[in-house]
Amino acid sequence: MTIGIPRALIYWKRPDFWQSFFENLGCDVLLSPKTNKEIIEKGVKSADPETCFSFKVFFGHLLWLDEKCDFVFVPCLKTNKEKLEYCPKFFGLPDLAKILTKTPILTETFDERKEKFEKTLKKLGKKLNKSRTEIQEAIKIALLKEKETKEKQKKDFFEKIKSKKPKIVLVSHPYNLYDDYVNLRTKEKLERLGAEVIFIDEIPIDETRNEIYPKFHWEFAKEIMEKVQAILDYDIAGAIEISSFQCGCDAVLKEFVEKEFKSSKIPFLYLIIDEQTGEAGLQTRLEAFIDTLKS
Amino acid sequence: MKITFAYWGNYTIAFISLFQKLGINVIPPEKTNQQSIIEGAKISPEMYCFPLKANIGNYLTAIKKGADTVFMVTSLSGSCRLRYYGIIQDKVLSEAGYKVNFVILNQNFIDIYQKLKKISGASFWQIVKAVYFFFKKLHLIEKLEKKAQYLRPREKIKGQTDQILRETFPQLEKVRNLRELTKLKREIKKKISEIEIDSKKNVPRIGIIGEIFTVTDGAINFGIEEKLGKQDIEVHREMDVTYHLKKIICPWKDWQIQKKINPYLKSTVGGHGRDAIFEMLNYTKNNFDGIIHLLPFGCMPEVVIRPILEKIHQETGIPFLSLSLDEQVAEAGINTRLEAFVDVVKNHYNNKNH
Repeated sequence: MTIGIPRALIYWKRPDFWQSFFENLGCDVLLSPKTNKEIIEKGVKSADPETCFSFKVFFGHLLWLDEKCDFVFVPCLKTNKEKLEYCPKFFGLPDLAKILTKTPILTETFDERKEKFEKTLKKLGKKLNKSRTEIQEAIKIALLKEKETKEKQKKDFFEKIKSKKPKIVLVSHPYNLYDDYVNLRTKEKLERLGAEVIFIDEIPIDETRNEIYPKFHWEFAKEIMEKVQAILDYDIAGAIEISSFQCGCDAVLKEFVEKEFKSSKIPFLYLIIDEQTGEAGLQTRLEAFIDTLKS
Repeated sequence: MKITFAYWGNYTIAFISLFQKLGINVIPPEKTNQQSIIEGAKISPEMYCFPLKANIGNYLTAIKKGADTVFMVTSLSGSCRLRYYGIIQDKVLSEAGYKVNFVILNQNFIDIYQKLKKISGASFWQIVKAVYFFFKKLHLIEKLEKKAQYLRPREKIKGQTDQILRETFPQLEKVRNLRELTKLKREIKKKISEIEIDSKKNVPRIGIIGEIFTVTDGAINFGIEEKLGKQDIEVHREMDVTYHLKKIICPWKDWQIQKKINPYLKSTVGGHGRDAIFEMLNYTKNNFDGIIHLLPFGCMPEVVIRPILEKIHQETGIPFLSLSLDEQVAEAGINTRLEAFVDVVKNHYNNKNH
């Protein structure tokens, strides 16, 4: 049995977890290729014109997988372990995917206000006719693998922070940070301009943090705000926030992220990306930003 | 202390009287217009949804008149951006250099009661009386709106109904107690009964669905109900304040709606996303001739459900038009699209009946 996972949006929230979970259940996993022009064009054509750019990319990946596998995995993420919500657009994702594809959608609602993550996973495994022990084993291995990458990330972070180059924090959602085509290789560009790039989700946070204002009900917003506060303890040269065009949550979040950096007198650049963003324009803005850091 | 709040269609009248009855000094917001929207959009975050910009525009006009406190009702339990309206508006105004107090009311009766009591210093009975009066007025306004939807396509002299409404609402604003209200009601009833209508006339019917603010506020949606009425179309709309309040009091309503829309959407998407699907299904079932979906540009719940609405439209063949409204939308553009849509609806209606 082949399960297709679109390499966009939800995949990037836990990249190792989903793939290894399904592989350990004995399914073949078909991951859609890295984002390219064709995928984006497909997505833009089929998605609602006013929805966010990340969604359009997701639909592109989804359509690429259509009729290439037995199931496409599109979970409905509602709340996480801390009972904080995901973006409301994620709630309707499986239902929207169903409209577009001919391949059946494999889905399950992850709402930890109602039931534990593991219990939902077991339900998901049962849909694939797997036994209890098989599922439990798969969850264990998948979680271990995820933990491994997280530790490596932490180690990398402390090495990066020691570097002598000017350090720039990239603030965004994982699906913008790790998808090189979507963010137009911002990381590579900044490194070529002589900066050390730190992704916001690489920053480790300790348990004891002051209450943040405002109290966000979005998991990513709380996480990003906490990490922004954590990074302010280190010596950083500048911060760049990337958000996809029409991202409703970022419209709220940006206000507070910007305030946080500006009150610590750290230069801040806000970039909006969409299917029409040109590389040359981005290059100019990044160069100008790096120049302001030097002066 | 002089308070102000955001303009919200004809319901503003009821809100003004609520605060006046409590003995709070109110500076009523001016009717939203192109100028105030532009002023508001200038200082608001660019990516934020449209109602926030319109609200800021309202506050600015009231602040110029001397208001120093803003009442904002937000939903602290919803999933959409309305949750952050209070804090963002507060931030926007203070960064633009306006010194105003912000009172953020949650959509929760205990919270509203406590905050109103603290601000006005009114007794329990006074508040109960004020709220009762508020509901009386609100009910009348909603009833008039519903009545007008029926009368507009059927009246013999075009524009008569709207003329009466235009005269009535300012009068209603001046009404201070129940006795005057009953008197005014009688007058209105008389005026309406004098409108000559062709009650046997069959007219096409359009259902309006979508986000509550854009659907109910005529100043935001360019008076879409009036425009359709003038072109001999009966407009139906479920969404109003009472509907919204009923849903807060009876949470199982959401559950009932969910049961009906299960084949299309399995979860809430925040806001009134589910309601729009439910209403559209209802309208198609009741043999309506068209659906108009109104939303602020980029509204998260409505944008998510739009593909589903389009799917229903394709399945049933009912004419469907979705209009996104924001500060850059011009009335002429809306008019053209509406005219074209009305032609489609009338064709659909004629084909169905012959």
